[in-house]
Amino acid sequence: MKISRRDVLAGSATIATASSLSWSASAQTRAETLRYVTGAAVNTLDPTMPGATREAFGVSVNVYDRLVSFGRKKRGDNWVFDIDNIRGEIAERVVTSADGMTFTFHLRKNAKFHDGTPVTAEDVKWSLDRAVSAKSLAAAQVGTGSWTKPEQFKIIDQHTVEAKVDKPDRLALPNLCTLYAVIFNSALVKKNATAADPWGQEWTKNNTAGSGAYTVENFKAGEQVILRRNDAWVGGVDGKPAPFRRIICQTIPEAATRASLIEKGDADLSIDLQPSDIDTLVQRGRVKAISTPQFNAFTMIAFNTKMAPFDNKKVRQAIAAALPYDSIFKAALFERGAKLYGGTWSGTPTDASFPQPMPYKQDVAKAKALLAEAGYPNGFETFFAFNLGAAAFAEPIAALVKEALAAINIKVDIQKLPDAQISTMVTERKLPFFVETSIAWLPSTDYFFRTFLYGPQRWNYSGWNDSRINEIAEKARFETDKAKYDAACKEMIAIMAEETPIVMLWQPNQDAVMPKNIDGYTYGYHRQVDFRDVKRS
Amino acid sequence: MSIASAIARRAGRRAISSLPALFGVVVFTFLLMRVLPGDPAIFFASGPNAGQAEIQMIREQMGLDKPIPQQLLLYLRDIGTGNLGRSMTTGQTVMADLVNRLPASLELTFTALLLALSLALPLGILAALKPNSLVDHGVRFLCSLGVCVPTFVSGLLLIYAFYYILGIAPDPTGRIDVFASQPPRLTGFLLIDSALAGDWDAWYSAASQLVLPASTMALFVLAPLARMTRASMLAVLTSDFVRTGEALGLSRKRVVLVYALRNALLPVLTIMGIVFSTMLGANVLVEKVFSWPGVASYALDALLSSDYAPVQGFVLLMATIFVMVNLTIDVLYGLADPRITIE
Repeated sequence: MKISRRDVLAGSATIATASSLSWSASAQTRAETLRYVTGAAVNTLDPTMPGATREAFGVSVNVYDRLVSFGRKKRGDNWVFDIDNIRGEIAERVVTSADGMTFTFHLRKNAKFHDGTPVTAEDVKWSLDRAVSAKSLAAAQVGTGSWTKPEQFKIIDQHTVEAKVDKPDRLALPNLCTLYAVIFNSALVKKNATAADPWGQEWTKNNTAGSGAYTVENFKAGEQVILRRNDAWVGGVDGKPAPFRRIICQTIPEAATRASLIEKGDADLSIDLQPSDIDTLVQRGRVKAISTPQFNAFTMIAFNTKMAPFDNKKVRQAIAAALPYDSIFKAALFERGAKLYGGTWSGTPTDASFPQPMPYKQDVAKAKALLAEAGYPNGFETFFAFNLGAAAFAEPIAALVKEALAAINIKVDIQKLPDAQISTMVTERKLPFFVETSIAWLPSTDYFFRTFLYGPQRWNYSGWNDSRINEIAEKARFETDKAKYDAACKEMIAIMAEETPIVMLWQPNQDAVMPKNIDGYTYGYHRQVDFRDVKRS
Repeated sequence: MSIASAIARRAGRRAISSLPALFGVVVFTFLLMRVLPGDPAIFFASGPNAGQAEIQMIREQMGLDKPIPQQLLLYLRDIGTGNLGRSMTTGQTVMADLVNRLPASLELTFTALLLALSLALPLGILAALKPNSLVDHGVRFLCSLGVCVPTFVSGLLLIYAFYYILGIAPDPTGRIDVFASQPPRLTGFLLIDSALAGDWDAWYSAASQLVLPASTMALFVLAPLARMTRASMLAVLTSDFVRTGEALGLSRKRVVLVYALRNALLPVLTIMGIVFSTMLGANVLVEKVFSWPGVASYALDALLSSDYAPVQGFVLLMATIFVMVNLTIDVLYGLADPRITIE
């Protein structure tokens, strides 16, 4: 056979077309895949397991459905979750009784678990029973919404469940939106439960039994999770499947590497880069950052009110007056957040929301006077602690605190402690004062006070115990009259401003960095990515 | 008595005599973990609203509610049955985690060691042939550089140059391209598994992911290997048999590569064993920088969160590997020089 030049050309053209076809096929799958890179690891598929990481929460949100879910709203230019707008997820709709104590959930009739079995009222009842009874982290959380015992949940018919609380708790319904109140495929979990483990908790750590937008294709604890879209998902706002076909959720400990991956276009989303890198990244023009102040989180300096001399209110006030807030905000956070200091009110706040800017500002003369009144005209010696894991922003804070307090004769030693050690010392109330960032899933003023400002639990960082606060906070959660609720909240904030058990500093931004064609990112209460909202334009 | 049975007896005896050391390691690590400050139960009860009840629950799950001597006995019993406990950070059993992750570390370490040897031996020989020459100084400079620059710095520099600027390296995350298909797991060594499966795309992907981390590690251990080669080569080159060989008119090449090198390799073999064992544990920073799912970064994460079981399991694993490497070296020594015996 004779091969002409024309044949060769035609042949190579065919090859070129074929190879460009296969290239576009693989590019297609890449376009339908979201690669999410994060610093920490997913360690369990069951979000209620003790020790579950935030990344594990993020995965579970996308794999499991709950009865109800928070809607979203715009805050500035960004989407954020909306605690006041609760929509159905597995429930098509929820009917709240006039007294606010009974919730009737009408389930979607076409909702199916990943294995194809329909979601029934039995599954819902079993899952809620599990949340309140199993030994897990769920019970404590849903307890803050008055959900404590299985008797509160009742099956009405195949597609209707009724849930009752004894008093109209403001957070009853929001608690059922959180990722601890997930709905399991009860038949599947029961099949894998044992006598010693009636709720199948061992099995759910590595397996899923949900009805959510994604199924788990591959789970390597500590390395990566690959999610595949559930095309039969009906729990979304519009009842449509999620935009991305596949999600790769990968752990990459080095922040610099995550930043390069995003910039090179090899990864599509990261929410935990170094604040110091973000401006430079954005300026180079290949990526965008969606920066949302974490309005349900706060960074603070907590004083141990159980330890001398911090049991003295005047000492705490003196330190609050000595701190150089603006310099700290600049040095530690590059101003990437919302200030919680420098409030202009005094006495009673004008608004009942919390956290809000507290009326603290630097006033060294006042600080010196307060310290003298407290009985320490010559100052004292103490130490300031922070968590090694948070060194990037805590180290500058510590240095500035040390310098500012030296000006009022308080000699401060700085101690960096590893995670486990600092949490132990905080719980045992052995640290005089320290810096912490904390988050409340349900940003409601009484919830903040209940969680962080009284009671024996670890999250009451300052060990503060004020009888008036205890009384108001306990009552406020059941207050249905908005005016009365707001008045109660304002009183609590005023007491806190006066007593100064903690000094609020700021709400750090959550900076989600992504290529310019990724859209729809929403800031969630769990501070993770809800992949169901994200799409490539 | 055949050589094989002599070796087996020697190996067996050495293995038994290392048991007390392993036992000591187990007890020591166990106690050490318990005197470290920080209560793991409190750390892991990190969910919203976790109170005393949750802390107590985790304490019971981890077996920390019992007195320490009893905990130790229970732990020893568990080890006897091959149960190393459960990791709180990954939620898996420590045994499963180690089995999953050890091949990753071994693959990286072996590759790095091979790479380091293939550089260190020629460099060491060159330096020994012309002591105090420009070549010798050059090798010394390279070795010092390799050992002084911490691995996380050289690793990040390599990433910056070859991935970020030049774009010729694959993205430095893990053992294989996340979009590539993984070969079925047989040995856990990706290069071997993908070769067995005949999946050369996967093999290429795994191999190219290995280049940067292995180079980082190799650079770091170049110094001990090259310096040891140089020193022992120098000693051998001045010895009688080399002089005799040269006097007999053998070619320089033959004398150096056949007679001198073979004799100079014994100390290099010893140092190789040590280098290998330390690399396996010390490549924690390389594993972190390259998101390499190995045992060292696993142990570090566990240590930071006071997760007892994985740290104890890791130390036991390292001790066992160390014992095994020493054993192998002893056996190799015995083979190389029958005068060496441990009877």
